Amino acid sequence: MKDLKHLYYFERLLEDANNELIQQAKSEGLKCIAYTCENVPEPLMNLAGTFSTRLRAPRTGSIDMGTYYLTSFLCEYSRALLERAIEGGYNFADAIITPDGCTMMNRCVENMELLHTMDQGKENFFYEYMEIPQKGDENGLNLYVLQCKNHILKPLAEKYGIDVSDAAIRKAVAEHNEICHLIRAMGEFRKEDNPRITGYEYHIITLASYVAPKHLIVDKLRETLEELQSREPDAKFPYRARVVFAGSEVDDVDAIKLCEESGAYVCADRFCYGSLPGRDPIVLNDEEDALTQICRIYQKRAQCPRYWDTTKYWGRKSYLDEIAKEYKADGIIIEQMKFCDPWAYERMVGTVVMREDYGYPVLAVDRPYAIGSSGQMRTRVQAFVESIEIKKIQGGNK
Amino acid sequence: MAKEIGAEELGRFITGGKVKSRREWRGIEDTLYDYSRWLYIMAQLGGFIMKPRNIKAMFRYRWMANYLGVPAMVDRHTQGLRGPYLRMAHLEQDLVVYDVAKLLDNLFRGDRRIGNDEEFSKKVILFDENEMTSVMMGFPTVKGLSRETPSTYVPVLLNQKAVLHYIDVCQEYGLPGDVCPMPAAEAGVSIDDDAPILGAGAIQCNTTCDGSLLSNGVIGKRLEVEDGIPIFQMAAPLRHQEDDVQEYAAQEIKNAIAFVEERTGEKWDWNYYFECAKRVNIATRARLYWLDMNKTDYPQVFGSNLALYTETNYMAISGKVAAFADVDQKLTELADYAYKNKMMMAKEYRHRAIVWGVQSHFYFDFLLWLVNCWGIVPLTDMLSMVNTRMIAEEDTPENREQAYRDMAWLTENMIMRNRTHGGYKVLLDQLWEYCEEFNADTVILWEHMACKALTGMHGQFEEKAREKGIHLIWVSHDLFDPRIVSRQEIRDQINNYMRTVFREEPLDPSLEVLDDDNAW
Repeated sequence: MKDLKHLYYFERLLEDANNELIQQAKSEGLKCIAYTCENVPEPLMNLAGTFSTRLRAPRTGSIDMGTYYLTSFLCEYSRALLERAIEGGYNFADAIITPDGCTMMNRCVENMELLHTMDQGKENFFYEYMEIPQKGDENGLNLYVLQCKNHILKPLAEKYGIDVSDAAIRKAVAEHNEICHLIRAMGEFRKEDNPRITGYEYHIITLASYVAPKHLIVDKLRETLEELQSREPDAKFPYRARVVFAGSEVDDVDAIKLCEESGAYVCADRFCYGSLPGRDPIVLNDEEDALTQICRIYQKRAQCPRYWDTTKYWGRKSYLDEIAKEYKADGIIIEQMKFCDPWAYERMVGTVVMREDYGYPVLAVDRPYAIGSSGQMRTRVQAFVESIEIKKIQGGNK
Repeated sequence: MAKEIGAEELGRFITGGKVKSRREWRGIEDTLYDYSRWLYIMAQLGGFIMKPRNIKAMFRYRWMANYLGVPAMVDRHTQGLRGPYLRMAHLEQDLVVYDVAKLLDNLFRGDRRIGNDEEFSKKVILFDENEMTSVMMGFPTVKGLSRETPSTYVPVLLNQKAVLHYIDVCQEYGLPGDVCPMPAAEAGVSIDDDAPILGAGAIQCNTTCDGSLLSNGVIGKRLEVEDGIPIFQMAAPLRHQEDDVQEYAAQEIKNAIAFVEERTGEKWDWNYYFECAKRVNIATRARLYWLDMNKTDYPQVFGSNLALYTETNYMAISGKVAAFADVDQKLTELADYAYKNKMMMAKEYRHRAIVWGVQSHFYFDFLLWLVNCWGIVPLTDMLSMVNTRMIAEEDTPENREQAYRDMAWLTENMIMRNRTHGGYKVLLDQLWEYCEEFNADTVILWEHMACKALTGMHGQFEEKAREKGIHLIWVSHDLFDPRIVSRQEIRDQINNYMRTVFREEPLDPSLEVLDDDNAW
């Protein structure tokens, strides 16, 4: 296929946490709100005068300092973020908001605070920790709304004078939705029998939408969608199987690249930093305040294993089944970052349930933060692809 | 052999087998007392095994065999003790043993596979092992029973290798080896279908860690999907020190109570609640009194005497059993007596230590070893530093509303979770405050390697201890799994520090290296 015009540009945005669009937005006087978890509602950090960036640690090498503070038993994502923060790699941020989502992420940000990694010389800088509901019920929703008020909107208004009114939130949602529509429209092409976009390309574009100021990236997203509409795929589908890639945090473009190089086309991305459900548009009505609606939508759609009530617990498995069908997947890869406790359990049960109850071939893997050069992972994906092919030949389960 | 403290070399009784070579001589009075309590424990065991359904359970459930080790466990927790300390240990241990025996008996009575008493089962609500049971303080006719306590938690105290099988089962099912072995073992019991099946419903909670939270799903898969027992998930707030989570927490309690009422047909009883609340306050007052005593030169209720008892009394009992309030009173009397007479548990106290972090269950008697071997007094431990507030105990309309908040507060501040959750202030900053309050020169920091909440503060602990000039001794372990770090490897971490940094010789050199890899 012909290269996408802006793909290299998007890829370059991912090479540095402090990418050129963040620098541009900062020079416009906007406040940068860093966050670490999908459970912090994105539109609330993209009100007029602010923009959000979800933290990554691209080109991670040594994480010795992060390991000293957090030990080698915490996931590499949290260690890499702390390392980068200690190095001064997030000094561009004007605040950081994190939910007490998983223990490791919480400890990572607490260490950032204790070590004064990001706040030196910034009078209004704030670290905020949110209590995010663990169930999909009304009590949890009330908590969610209150926490967003107290830990996002209140400090934004008090520290930076940001307009946090209902109208301002609705405007941010409208802008957010445009990004979502564009990303999801591109993602629709992955349903084609011979898709005109690779999983790797799609992952880059999606990732870029999480880390760059939205108003500065939207034009290129529009152009890319237009380009895709007339893009010609290769004459023959170059992959041997279609897979859903599901699991914990993946901000490493090489993870998807490795799968596709091993013959598995990643037709759906159900992981933190993915588009399912992270890029579902937020549809608001006029009857209820925007904040409550946003929280309800985030709570309802969340696929994070920290939601542990029965409905959400089994809902995650049926959601995987739904998207596997919708995107015509032959199999599912359920991954977890090494040392991630929530996904360790979710992967274990998810693997058994998706295999035994839903009949999918499933590959369960744990992986390091940066996976690009992992020969072990490559071999496992290759073997998985072969097993799917053999099943197809033998006429077994999907 | 003599009756004085330290007269016997305690390490000589451990000779590589499951049990000790002989009983310790503590002088006529203490030895007779100790022996009479040993007979009492044996009688408890005998009485328990006499029941046909319990014999059946012994053959049905793999973990039941560990209960043969009860007398050995009590012996471990009384090593070297004399006078009031020996009596305190027995008062506590014997009551805990009685309570666990009662729990087992109730479980097997309702268990579909054993007693199958359906009417009884309809009035049972299952609880996690690591769960505050304060929501049962208003249900005198409903039994809140934990299956995990007798299948995983207690067995590891009895036999260090008790749950290795279940950890392996869970890992064979697909769980990585780096998660906490406690929830892994609990999940393994469910995967192995080795837990009693009973109850009108179950309340699960988000207690100590992400692993504990997520293992609920595995247990739920068996319990709810296969056994048809509905589950209510009680999600206490993690950032429990914040004001803006308390209303939510109270509502969770109300929802849990509504679930119990719906499942059992029983109604909440305020009289019973406030009766229990009084006993919760008695326990809190007693614990605070003991802790205050431990701030002086003559600490009295500490080590295993404090830790194991507090865990049971605070979490599993929560005011529901009157016998614990009586024991609280007796313990205080013994402590007062010892304090007035300036008595000491060991012949010499060299260091005053705060024990922090999550203790190794397969080596819980380590606290006693610290005193006996090195003269390190474990003044208090993290798991004993729970709620210090008095809860409302008079039945008034205002207090009824306050009661929900109190139950929520007790639940939020449950053992371990009140430190592993709630931000760094409760884990890190308060440790140094306690060091100052208790005049401690040393911190024994259990580093449970799979506990991400603890290890996530590793660097901060080191730096702050250095800054404050406090001796920080790391003790790495893997909670339930002695294959990763054995008891001797645990001891060696202390031994090395004591010899190389403090340059001291042990009080009892026979305890420095013990051949106890195969012991219960």
